[in-house]
Amino acid sequence: MTVKERETAVRVAEHAGSEFETKYMRINVGPQHPSTHGVLRLVVDLDGERIAGIKPQIGYLHTGFEKTMENRTYQQGVTYSNRMDYLHGFGHDLAYVLSVEKLLDAKVPIRAEQIRVILNELNRIASHLVFFGTGILDMGALTLFFYTMREREKILDLFEMVSGVRMNYGYFRVGGLSKDLPEEFVPAARAFCNEFPRMLEQYATMFVKNDIFVNRTKGIGVISKEQALDYGLTGPSLRASGVPLDFRKAQPYSGYENYDFDVPTSEVGDAFVRFMMRFEEMSESLKIVVQVLDQLEEGPVKDPDRRISLPPRSELETSMEAVIFHFKLVTEGFHPPRGEVYVPTESARGELGYYLVSDGGSMPYRVKVRVPSLMNLQSLEPACIGGLFADMVVNIASMDPVMGDVDK
Amino acid sequence: MGASGEAVNLVDTVVSRLVELGGKPATFKGMVSVTVGRERLVEAIKLAKGAGFEMISDIFGIDYLTYPGHQGERFTVAYNLYSVSENERLFVRVDLDEHTTLPTITHLWSGANFMEREVFDMFGVVFEGHPDLRKLITPEDLDGSPHRKDFPLGETPTLFNEGRFLDPAAFRAGLTGKDEGLTGWKGGARKGVKRDG
Repeated sequence: MTVKERETAVRVAEHAGSEFETKYMRINVGPQHPSTHGVLRLVVDLDGERIAGIKPQIGYLHTGFEKTMENRTYQQGVTYSNRMDYLHGFGHDLAYVLSVEKLLDAKVPIRAEQIRVILNELNRIASHLVFFGTGILDMGALTLFFYTMREREKILDLFEMVSGVRMNYGYFRVGGLSKDLPEEFVPAARAFCNEFPRMLEQYATMFVKNDIFVNRTKGIGVISKEQALDYGLTGPSLRASGVPLDFRKAQPYSGYENYDFDVPTSEVGDAFVRFMMRFEEMSESLKIVVQVLDQLEEGPVKDPDRRISLPPRSELETSMEAVIFHFKLVTEGFHPPRGEVYVPTESARGELGYYLVSDGGSMPYRVKVRVPSLMNLQSLEPACIGGLFADMVVNIASMDPVMGDVDK
Repeated sequence: MGASGEAVNLVDTVVSRLVELGGKPATFKGMVSVTVGRERLVEAIKLAKGAGFEMISDIFGIDYLTYPGHQGERFTVAYNLYSVSENERLFVRVDLDEHTTLPTITHLWSGANFMEREVFDMFGVVFEGHPDLRKLITPEDLDGSPHRKDFPLGETPTLFNEGRFLDPAAFRAGLTGKDEGLTGWKGGARKGVKRDG
């Protein structure tokens, strides 16, 4: 029993039975976004300024994506997957198409895999930039938000080049990509890669050398390795607690084994380190993007199997066979064999995987998304309990939950 | 999934011990799953955890009601276990029907709390001994379990308790202002069909 708990026990005993009998004050936080994480509501039990209990109440962004995907063809599923985690949409797209491709044994061309990796890593940087901007906004500093948004804007421009939109891309297809990169993409991506390390230095000045930020986060919300595994925490937050688990390394997919990058890990487990893990990850992601740009191969970006990929537009005017395949794919879609698959991937937030059940039809029988944010949100409990109420917001920020990812 | 040169990997060890408990193993595209009986579930998962699966990645349900040619009980609840140190994954599955409950495993992993609540919410599977078994995602007054295959979808009324429901056509009418509306739009929050004239 800590000193604090003893004091509480004495106070409770003094007033037991009287009209002042209280132990904890229960307060409601939200539902509104503490910054821009989405709609999160917390029921917090307070013992003075200390948190005695914290219960996230979620579901405000529940959209029923899983059920909707069960009633659409496999190819149409790409429309929904990226809408869950709107900050790391390519990560969700990738996880989804990888599961379907495993079911189909599709052969994805190398160029398509490489482009997927470029976009996924750029998206990871963009997601971490939002995390930093809003995270420090939670602590009351507005300035950095504008700096991180400035770079995110450049990444979104790149995404707009390839997919036509800045969010909810829908650019990946089962078996490859919807189309090849536009000519101007590679030079623009290279320009970004050359420029970004300088921006990272700017951020470092504003973060690591910022006394206010360091004092607000150091030693706050410590999660031990055992607690992290107990709560199913994954991603940068898990690595901050001393478990070097990264599915890009552990079970490489989409050609991640060909690139040289490190997985930042720390033993400390506090909010500061959780911020720093993501900070270091940005430069690792940049390393991957530069490597892929150097190795980028020419070639097709779709599985040549006509039962999976749409035939080229030009063939539709001359080939009856192409028209038939096109018609069958658009109206009905392909029929993967029966079975159940799961492919774990590493999103910006942790382990992300689509568990698909196929009954041999053209629509998935069951889609279950293992979203990282839901499990990470539970870890607010070990991080917050015993800490100050004012530090709760720091902890939420350092966990980087995206409520679309939590509620599905 | 372990290194191919290894004589014995973790999954094989655990699977052989679960088979001794009456489990039925299956492998599909490198994914290993074991179906165990309901009464041996906690024992089986405790065994897997003790053997090295130190993380619970997910718990989810599957409703096989309309699965072509499915025989046996209607639901499956699957436990997605992961070993960080050995980098291996194992699915422990348990079959059950509508009237069967499952024992909780929240005493083994605190993280199972939300996962079991989600299954309860989506499939109506009751976990006995769960410390806080409430709906996780859907509103408190929503009747039914949305991920069951017989839950209505699309242009069918969404059911709430006490006989209230939300009719899509009337909902749209409410939004366009051409009708009084039966939904939250005009203050008559989720009032259902009780409309005069």
